[in-house]
Amino acid sequence: MKLLLVTSVDPWTRSVSTVHKWVEAGRALGHDVAVYGDPYPELPAMRYTTDLSGVDLALFAIQVASDFPDMPHLARLLDRIPRERRVVVDLWGRFNDTIRLEHDFNHLEKLDGHLEWEWTEAFAAVSETILQPTLAPLRPGVGSFLFHGFDPGSVVRPYQTAREAAAAWSEGGPAAKPFGVMYVGSNWQRWEQVRTFLEQYGPARGEVGKACLVGWNWDSRPEWAVQQGIMGIDTDPALLAELGVEVRNGVRFDEVIGLLGKARFAPVFHRPLFRHLGFVTVRTFETFYADSLPVLMLPRDLVKAVYGPAALALVPAADVAAHLRDALRRPEPYWDAVLQTRSHLARHHSYAQRYQALEELVKDRRRSGVAR
Amino acid sequence: MNILFAMKYRPNAGNIHAVVDYMRVAQKHGHNVAMYGLPDPTWVPEARFSTDVRSFDRLVFLTESELWHFSRLGDVALFARFPKRHRLIFDMDGMYNPLLVVDGYDRNHKDEAECRRWIEYCDVLSDRVVKPTLVPSSNPRVSSLPIYGYDPALEVDVATAPAKEYDILHVGHNWWRWREVGGQLLPAFERIRDQVGEIGFVGLWWDTPPSEGGEAGPKAAFQADPEAFRRLRIRTSTAVNYTDVIRTMSTARINIFTQRPIIHHLRHLTLKYFEIFYADTIPLLMLDQDHAASVYGPAARELTLGGRVAEKLLDALRRPDHYRGLVADVRRHLAAHHSYDRRLQELVAAMRD
Repeated sequence: MKLLLVTSVDPWTRSVSTVHKWVEAGRALGHDVAVYGDPYPELPAMRYTTDLSGVDLALFAIQVASDFPDMPHLARLLDRIPRERRVVVDLWGRFNDTIRLEHDFNHLEKLDGHLEWEWTEAFAAVSETILQPTLAPLRPGVGSFLFHGFDPGSVVRPYQTAREAAAAWSEGGPAAKPFGVMYVGSNWQRWEQVRTFLEQYGPARGEVGKACLVGWNWDSRPEWAVQQGIMGIDTDPALLAELGVEVRNGVRFDEVIGLLGKARFAPVFHRPLFRHLGFVTVRTFETFYADSLPVLMLPRDLVKAVYGPAALALVPAADVAAHLRDALRRPEPYWDAVLQTRSHLARHHSYAQRYQALEELVKDRRRSGVAR
Repeated sequence: MNILFAMKYRPNAGNIHAVVDYMRVAQKHGHNVAMYGLPDPTWVPEARFSTDVRSFDRLVFLTESELWHFSRLGDVALFARFPKRHRLIFDMDGMYNPLLVVDGYDRNHKDEAECRRWIEYCDVLSDRVVKPTLVPSSNPRVSSLPIYGYDPALEVDVATAPAKEYDILHVGHNWWRWREVGGQLLPAFERIRDQVGEIGFVGLWWDTPPSEGGEAGPKAAFQADPEAFRRLRIRTSTAVNYTDVIRTMSTARINIFTQRPIIHHLRHLTLKYFEIFYADTIPLLMLDQDHAASVYGPAARELTLGGRVAEKLLDALRRPDHYRGLVADVRRHLAAHHSYDRRLQELVAAMRD
């Protein structure tokens, strides 16, 4: 299959890691895969092309409006690849009615200038097939396609047994694991969850170790957000100082996994919009590459459905501190859950499976003659 | 046929009036014309807007002197909906041409690089470019259509015309007009100033250049001489909306028609060619006689200023009935040869596969 990925890739944000995996896995599977556009020197491993001949499928992976190419590339692309060979993966829930949850949203004109109708018109004009990274899309007619996946080869330390993993994890001294907890991700619609987590972690801080937030705008609410009245980028420097939380700026995508391994625990948060829609993200899967114990701050039904039942052990009950203390005291069951989950992810969410699902989708479309 | 116009719309400049005329006439013939965008009752009350791209079969990019972009998502919806063969470009300002410089003054592009970018961009947008002219093109991608039309229903008659405030009026922006205004009109006004009443210029940038500075365009495009205007007692007032243009023109006994040099060189028609003959006024044209006759018919030869600006102005003021007769002849010619019904048929024919 000649697959063209249409999206913008930035080494510092969004789904750049997943897009790399799509290119890498696709080529390993014998597909011809590239991102539409000119080469970008900061991403030397990425394959780009502007050759539109013989494309079997153009996969538009859309988060923000600039994921669509600018003119005149946009017109070339849409003119050369017929509608029936295009699929949109709506990674941020744009192809829904407008949703407001806490401060989170899927459309906000004052942020990016776009209203709901613009998103839905644009998506519907591009393709008959709109997919979302959730097991249960809300909108009728939208298909389920998780897009993000799990690459077993990227696990930093692929332990054979839980005992081995737990021992290595427990024995790692301050040089190997200088942090107790680390969250890598920008401060965008996650503060309420992060604050709750940190407040609950507080009592166990002495035993667990220092917490670290890595990403943009954890230190202060940015001026542009204040000016525009954009909420959901809140923070509380006093609370962070009281809890001794270290704050660092964002890192490139290829530094994330190594960095997470510097901490004993790596919480996974999904922004309120994604929790509501049941969306997965790049971090849903790649946190399990790191040499760290994931703490799944996610709805239990989503955890069970995506990660498998073993992963429920990685979801704290009411008390985060108790969960962390218990994992420190008896890490083996937790690592057993991690290894079982990694195995589940490898079986059910590999990029090979994503390709297979995509190929089936293409075949179905050809059979049903969609969008002629 | 359902035709969607993608264009920058301004109520006091550009081609909005022509597109609104197409909208009006289209319904009569069972067609549907709208502009892409959300309804804007404040600015353009009569215009129909739509964002429902699925309701349209054809897309017309009406370009002036900038490549107008919608939002990224707007572009996506338009380009995904309309295949290239269903898209057409109206090149109103002659940008789809090689770099042209007229008399070392006006030009269609800043430089060769900009010209190349523009042409490459247009070639991606559509296989077909239409220019508003009667002159055929040797470029197989280019067709010539007058685009603008004339609707006798919009004519202002003497009985309903507003009172005359001016003897001489010029309605239009100061955009590449100074060569004609400074070089021919003002010297003529100097000679006859005591023999005529009020003189006025309605439009932007006659007193001061655009506040945007260099971003608005080359400095030469906005050249003006406010001191000369004061000395000659020329009143200036700002631009009026397209809905008020004809009535404003009708406040003067004479309206002077000027055209940007590059557009004149290309023999492009503009909206003003037709609007000025709706007004209750005597249009005097800064056009060469043959070109005027090709558009307006033979009577228009006598309405051209032809290097005798002062004499012509005085003659028109002294013999208004004679000139009104010429205007009536031109109006009849325009109604017979340039109706919007005909224009619409030409447009629909041009847009068929």
